[in-house]
Amino acid sequence: MTTSLKALTNLRWLPAALMACLAACGGGDDAGNSSPGSSAGLKVYRHSMDESPTSLDPVQASNVYANHVLINAYDTLFSYQYLARPYVLKPNLADGWPEISTDTLTYTIRLKRGVRYIDDPCFPDGKGREVTAADVVYSLKRHFDPATRPQGAWLWQGRIVGLDAWKEAGSNYDQEVEGLRALDDHTLQIKLVQPYPQLLDTLAQGYSSVVPREAVEHYGREFGIRPVGSGPFRLVSYDTARIVMDRNPGFRQEPVDLAAEGYDPATQGQYGLERIEGRSPPFIDRLEFQFIADASARWNSFTKGDEAQYTTIPNEQIDRVLTSKHPITLKPEYAEKYFFYAGMEAGFIFQTWNLLDPEFGYNEDPERERRNKALRCAVIKSFDWPARNDSFYGGIGTIFPGIIVPVVPEFDPDLSRVSVTRDVAGARKLLEDNGWNAANLPMFTFGTTANVLNRLMFEQFRAWLKDIGYPPEKVVLKQYATFGDISKAWKQAELPWVVKGWGLDYPDAENTLQLFYGPNSSPGSNDSNWRNPEYDALYEQSSVMLPSPERTEIYRRMNEMVIDACLTATGLARTRIHLWHKDVIALPDREIVGGFFLKYVDVED
Amino acid sequence: MSVAATRRQSLWSKAAWKLRRDRFGMLGLAVVLAHFVAAVGVWLGLWATGWGDVAGGKWDSVSSEHWFGTNLIGQDIFQRSIYSISTAFEIGLIVAVLSTLLGAVLGAMAGFFSGRATDEFVVWLMGVLDSIPFYLLVAAIAFALEGNPWSMHVAMISTFWITTARLVRGEVIKLKGLEFVEAAHAIGVPEYTIIFRHILPNTFHILLVQSTITFVAAIKSEVILSFLGLGVKDGMSWGLMISESTFEVLAGFFNNFLAASVLMFGLVMAFSIFSDALQDALDPRQVS
Repeated sequence: MTTSLKALTNLRWLPAALMACLAACGGGDDAGNSSPGSSAGLKVYRHSMDESPTSLDPVQASNVYANHVLINAYDTLFSYQYLARPYVLKPNLADGWPEISTDTLTYTIRLKRGVRYIDDPCFPDGKGREVTAADVVYSLKRHFDPATRPQGAWLWQGRIVGLDAWKEAGSNYDQEVEGLRALDDHTLQIKLVQPYPQLLDTLAQGYSSVVPREAVEHYGREFGIRPVGSGPFRLVSYDTARIVMDRNPGFRQEPVDLAAEGYDPATQGQYGLERIEGRSPPFIDRLEFQFIADASARWNSFTKGDEAQYTTIPNEQIDRVLTSKHPITLKPEYAEKYFFYAGMEAGFIFQTWNLLDPEFGYNEDPERERRNKALRCAVIKSFDWPARNDSFYGGIGTIFPGIIVPVVPEFDPDLSRVSVTRDVAGARKLLEDNGWNAANLPMFTFGTTANVLNRLMFEQFRAWLKDIGYPPEKVVLKQYATFGDISKAWKQAELPWVVKGWGLDYPDAENTLQLFYGPNSSPGSNDSNWRNPEYDALYEQSSVMLPSPERTEIYRRMNEMVIDACLTATGLARTRIHLWHKDVIALPDREIVGGFFLKYVDVED
Repeated sequence: MSVAATRRQSLWSKAAWKLRRDRFGMLGLAVVLAHFVAAVGVWLGLWATGWGDVAGGKWDSVSSEHWFGTNLIGQDIFQRSIYSISTAFEIGLIVAVLSTLLGAVLGAMAGFFSGRATDEFVVWLMGVLDSIPFYLLVAAIAFALEGNPWSMHVAMISTFWITTARLVRGEVIKLKGLEFVEAAHAIGVPEYTIIFRHILPNTFHILLVQSTITFVAAIKSEVILSFLGLGVKDGMSWGLMISESTFEVLAGFFNNFLAASVLMFGLVMAFSIFSDALQDALDPRQVS
């Protein structure tokens, strides 16, 4: 046998050749097919989430998943401080705080100079141009153009002078809107119809991302998958399993001032955040979002060690991972490898009666309507919040009375907890005193999407109702295939009982109080369809007030009115336990808009 | 036993004699009967009446109070398992009886009128229904019936009759050429009387075996459909229990999964063994 034949038959060279070939083939792939091996030399942070966004067009940024990506691809005028809790606004693309007229109707906002869009073929010569006030005007106008199928117009509807009329007139972008004007390249003026204390919060939403008109016109329908912004990252690839973004090398230099970001060394000192002080973000070369719907698969991806670097603990793993729930502490084997942060959600879980159902709500017969209220109150009394918390939220949720959630400053910790305390005897007496018995109690349809946990929630609720004398055969389950289907049923007021979660759009109790404002009735956000003139008047009065003790007083009065009317079994704010690898320098969060922290993430070399 | 007495023995008595001597078959029958007694007790309201009650804490372990422990919301797993037996029997019996009946009637008519329009239509219908994937058909029927609790039964009956019909059709084609049928024709017995009074009773051994096979298939399908969310809407089923267990096992809690699996395995296995024994006992080649 010759030497050359020996070489061919001895296949020890084969793995090396294959690796060389693979390396050569992979060299040209910059579309995010990175693995720990192929991204060697890059600082990569892999963030796992349970769902993927359906569009990256800011006018359709209706969920937290889209917001996570959008606010990192685009700029918004305002943002939230990275570390301050409760959440505190800060200027972002805006150059400082706006000038506000004494009647609080005119806002003049100056933009930072020299902020540029990423280089993209949509621009002449492919070079990104400077972001101007006209871009902000254009971006907000898009929400009032039916052709864009916008979902965020409610934030500014009836608020900005001339904007609704501009829509009525055909949404011509070349036509000026009196209340939304670019005074020059770096100055924006917004004129309001009436005071709108939450205006600046709305300008921090993913909806208000600043987009260049050239990109929208250049990409057309594809704009939803090709963001062209001035944010800290630029999109490299996007599919339903993963989004890859690379650092925007032209992102403005803004060194981190931890004190200005609300840093609290006492509670946040262990995360190593001091290492980003004085440095300009972003600190990582690549940001990867991994969308893994199944909680156990997400957990495996995280604990494997070389995939997702962040996750939340699935409910079924809580007992395995925690040593204690109050306070929350990790078992040593997890504490050794991961940082954690237990954050209360900015929102709540609640279930609302639909008063348009004559069996439980409004009725032509005033006597029946009175008895219906007693029935509603009895059902609410049967609700066992601690059991619900223990079964479905790991026993770490926060139960509170009313609809003002604990994360907002108007929350009243001293409010009576009677409405969240189970009282079976009281419920039975209420039914008996008002002439209800097993024979005349109405059929109760419990609507839910078809999955096993929702079914168990129904069974638990039916068992509680049985305890107060509601026959189980009168409590029936109606399952809907998708969230869209049940959402449609809610909007059409088809179900007597609406089981829902609500995430705050901005940290202001107004965002939950509007859930019971009469004009917001179905198909709006008021699923109860409650119309109380006194409540509505208070809402209208408070909605134009700036934060003050007087406004807080009104909010709390409205909260008590909702409780007294037996409209809703409420509430529970879930606690999310965020877990991340110890080589990641961050304080992850997904509340309010979600994803602001990603700009500040760093990974140890 | 005298020769005369042996001659008087029918197919049925020979089969019964053979079946009684099949120890595995009788063991299978005993297990099936035990499950059946449990199901009857549920129907009569003697036990498992608290299957929907929240009677304990989250994932309580096995105790004298909760023999199989409790589930996520504190419901007694033993009671839910026993209640699920009645669900399985209810679906198994309804589907087995109706699909066997439908298969017998359509199969007999197709066989008797073989080569004519009736036969061609039934054969075409069987071909069409056979070509639709079962779970797709169930989903379509469930959608068409808008969450009706009987959608699963309708879907199963509309597909399970086909095998029975094919077997009966073949048997009837064979039987209709025999002398007793020709004699019935000769004395002017109407065709449908011949089919239902003279021919169909001679296919009972096929129908009996086929109905036991259908019973088992219906139970298994119910569990799978309930697991997928297409089955039992209101009530309890082993499929729903296994569905609940998908996230419980990740937390190290296996009671739901084990209870449902063991009981279902026991019933399906026992019924299959009994079905095999019955098939052997009724096989004319073996009986004679």
